Amino acid sequence: MSDQSRPSGVHQLAHDLIERVERRWASLSIAVIVLLALLAAFAGIHRATMPQSIVETIEPRIIHMQGEFVETNLGSAVEADGSVTVRAVGQEYSFNPSCIVVPTDTPITFRATSPDVIHGFMIEGTNINTMLVPGYVSVLPARFDKPGERLMPCHEFCGVGHEGMWARVRVIDKQEFQKLAAQQPRVTCDQQ
Amino acid sequence: MSADQIFSWKNRWFAGSVGITAGLLVASALGGFIVLPYLYPNFEFRGAWDAICSAAGIARASSSANAIQPDYKISTVSLTSDMFMRPSPEAIGRGATLAQQCAICHGPTGISRADSPNLSGQYAAVIYKQLVDFKTGARVNAVMTPFAAPLSDQDMRDIAVYYAYLPRLPAYHPEQSAQPPNVVIYGAPMRGIAPCGSCHGTLDNKAGSPWLEGQAAAYIKAQLGAFASGARRNDSGGLMRNIARRMTPEEIDQAARYYSSRPSFMTTQ
Amino acid sequence: MISSRRLIIAHFWLAFAVFGLALLLGAWQMLVRSPLHNWLSDPEWYYRSLTAHGTVMAYALPTLVAMGFGYAITESTLDQPLVGKRWAWAGFGLIVVGAVMALIPVALGRASVLYTFYPPLIGSPFYYIGVVLVVVGSWIWVALMSVNLGVWKKRHPHAPIPLAMFANVAGSYLWAWTSLGAALELLFQIIPVALGWKSTLDAGLARILFSWTLHAIVYFWLIPTYIAYYTIVPRAIGGRVYSDTMARISFVLFLVVAMPIGIHHTFMDPQVGAGFKFIHSIFTAAVAVPTLLTVFTICASVEVAGRLRGGRGVFGWIGALPWKNPIMLAVAFSFVMLGFGGAGGLINMSYQLDTTVHNTQWITGHFHLIFGGAIVIMYFAIAYDLWPHLTGRNFSNDRLMRAQLWLWFIGMMVTTFPWHWVGILGMPRRMAFYDFSDPAISPQGIYVTVSAIGALILLASGLLFLFILATGQRAAPMEAGAYTFARAVHEPAAVPAPLNGYALWVTLMIALTITNYGFPIVRLASGYGTNVPAVYVGR
Repeated sequence: MSDQSRPSGVHQLAHDLIERVERRWASLSIAVIVLLALLAAFAGIHRATMPQSIVETIEPRIIHMQGEFVETNLGSAVEADGSVTVRAVGQEYSFNPSCIVVPTDTPITFRATSPDVIHGFMIEGTNINTMLVPGYVSVLPARFDKPGERLMPCHEFCGVGHEGMWARVRVIDKQEFQKLAAQQPRVTCDQQ
Repeated sequence: MSADQIFSWKNRWFAGSVGITAGLLVASALGGFIVLPYLYPNFEFRGAWDAICSAAGIARASSSANAIQPDYKISTVSLTSDMFMRPSPEAIGRGATLAQQCAICHGPTGISRADSPNLSGQYAAVIYKQLVDFKTGARVNAVMTPFAAPLSDQDMRDIAVYYAYLPRLPAYHPEQSAQPPNVVIYGAPMRGIAPCGSCHGTLDNKAGSPWLEGQAAAYIKAQLGAFASGARRNDSGGLMRNIARRMTPEEIDQAARYYSSRPSFMTTQ
Repeated sequence: MISSRRLIIAHFWLAFAVFGLALLLGAWQMLVRSPLHNWLSDPEWYYRSLTAHGTVMAYALPTLVAMGFGYAITESTLDQPLVGKRWAWAGFGLIVVGAVMALIPVALGRASVLYTFYPPLIGSPFYYIGVVLVVVGSWIWVALMSVNLGVWKKRHPHAPIPLAMFANVAGSYLWAWTSLGAALELLFQIIPVALGWKSTLDAGLARILFSWTLHAIVYFWLIPTYIAYYTIVPRAIGGRVYSDTMARISFVLFLVVAMPIGIHHTFMDPQVGAGFKFIHSIFTAAVAVPTLLTVFTICASVEVAGRLRGGRGVFGWIGALPWKNPIMLAVAFSFVMLGFGGAGGLINMSYQLDTTVHNTQWITGHFHLIFGGAIVIMYFAIAYDLWPHLTGRNFSNDRLMRAQLWLWFIGMMVTTFPWHWVGILGMPRRMAFYDFSDPAISPQGIYVTVSAIGALILLASGLLFLFILATGQRAAPMEAGAYTFARAVHEPAAVPAPLNGYALWVTLMIALTITNYGFPIVRLASGYGTNVPAVYVGR
């Protein structure tokens, strides 16, 4: 390091002061950022949601004909362990099912994909939020505490009918849901 | 200071910046690939290496175990927007010959005099899909099913490009129509209904959606009714069924009458 | 002395002319999707406008400003006429050709894919080719920045590169590298499909390649603003740059860390592994550091000016600042918007908080506040500062400039604050109309209306800006003298070599790109068999 940049006398003191002040601020900034990052990690682990843990691929051209996302397999299904898997497809320009039913107080897994273009998948008022990319399956865990009805819009531009792509999610009491699930293997409120 | 002096561990700047960068990278990689996967509430990995690979984004093919398959015939047509983009004249010619049998109901120029749909100038993908669905049984109609049965896949493609090649002539049964109904122009977003034209050609064409201008009102109404009741199920992914169920009977009526009164050159090519 | 005046003015005029048009479209968009207007009977007009607005504001305006400002910096700090002026004009020409080629299909409704052009939606190939031409034109500028710096360095070996030029060239390297992502997506995926040579592509790979560009591009947009903070503002208000070293550190930090963090734009995507999302999240936290450093250094530099003007006390120097100076007003407004916009950015960078706002109107409000607000207001300041030197005219309508800046600031706050709020309420993005009569959505109506009013204020401010520049061009001739930049409190006689060159930082930038993006891109490109058919849009 060259010594030519060091001025003399009063200027030297000022120069050192500036360097010290800036260094202190830099340390403070870094400390704040580290703290924020740790908070985020902590919150993620203990309280809130985490990114999808596995990348799953699927052939989009045939999902309406066979396989997991064929129309008769969509909707809310009760698994052996009591949890519920909700399967949905987002396509130009609506969701199927367009009225989803989920129970309260139950671990839920949303599984969704798109056969055509990129769509969004978001349940308003919650942190259930993902993209539907054709060729890939989006998987999200969820849990609802209170019954109610929520809107589920597509939030990514998917073509000229994007503004019409709204679905609904009905959260109902666990018992009520179990009654419905006993009558039909895949529960939706599409018929209403 | 020359370049060698910068890229040397003796240089404070080099050591510091490379050290911090590498440190951040290693720490975040450890966190993201090893620590966090183990903290997932539903740890579903088959060991540490599987956890690391999944975190890196190595994909698994999705499985369809225990999927409830339909107990009815489902449409097996897969349409893309570039199918039928450049039909050959030979195909159109073959289609013309085959289409002579269609003329009984659909008219010699593709304009029907009954309440069967006008086919003249319709999107090829639409005609192809409906023919395939009639043949496989995904769509059932007492008249069409026997006609479709003997057709081969190439035959159906040829008929499709032939009808697409015909000009779009004005409606055969025009009706007076006043204001375009709201459900057609705006859809009903809260009921999950996009404007009809977003798929049916006035705004854009989704592969497989027919343009509707000039079709018989009775036909449109019957089809919407069939979708609403579930009698017709060959709309891939339940699109039209969800829409028709959410339309009121008045809206279905208005939409049918509106489209039947429109001239057919208002749509996209 | 700035000798390539016509070249630079051409860049600025083109930038601000298309800005004016895009601003008009933006105001229209805010109005038609608000409760103040009936639903559009042809929503395609909205998406067409949105495509034009985004394409101009993201790809044309900031690129042209950076280029024009960059040429001005080159000539004035290095005290040499621009080497390669013909190439510079060629670059400008390419941009004009590209912009026209891109915007014609958009205007005709054949490329309503939005400026993010997420495939498999595919529009006219001329839209994409036009964008590529604009980018290539800017790469000529990148090369010229290096060439000119090289020429100067040969004449002044070991001398410290003037701060403004140092930052300018850093910005050009950042742009060159970051534009590669979208260039790869366009050249290898989208254009072949748009031309019909291929019919499928991997939509997930396209989003990842675009994310490579999508974040760091905002730092490319930001560099002219930060150059103005460090080297124009202190001079304009009679102060000094508090620390030249810290300024250089901030810029090299941007060069390194702005790039390898783009996957935070795809936090919610299913095609990327969670491990890489975490790595990008950590490095995104790191990119907040140079902004924090800058905020401190600039505040200190401004305080120097305040105290030199007789300000006393812990806060008394604020009152002593030259508030009648439009540049002072601009930087103050910019910092307020940077504070709020930056805080919003910290929220977006946390995966967990992002799940509540991703692709809601919060995101749109955020980037309008930080880019349209904090950054663009300094573009205005740069134009005002440079204009007398470019036009050779007496440009001194301070009152009008202050009014324009006030309008922009108020307009931006009025537009974006309610915008953030409706995003929190759950309003999704990019829709041509909303059913405000539905009870679940009606609470959002009032906020959307307020934002629309804010948009009108912004439109007025933008038109006023163009008016001021135009009248400045016609004022009485007056030579403004050499264009100078701020000096540091301690002008360094020599600067440590790593802060006087780029080799180390560019190496780190490329290395981090490989570690943070290499595997995801290679994995997606080598194919899962997830190529999907294109969906062609447009009439």
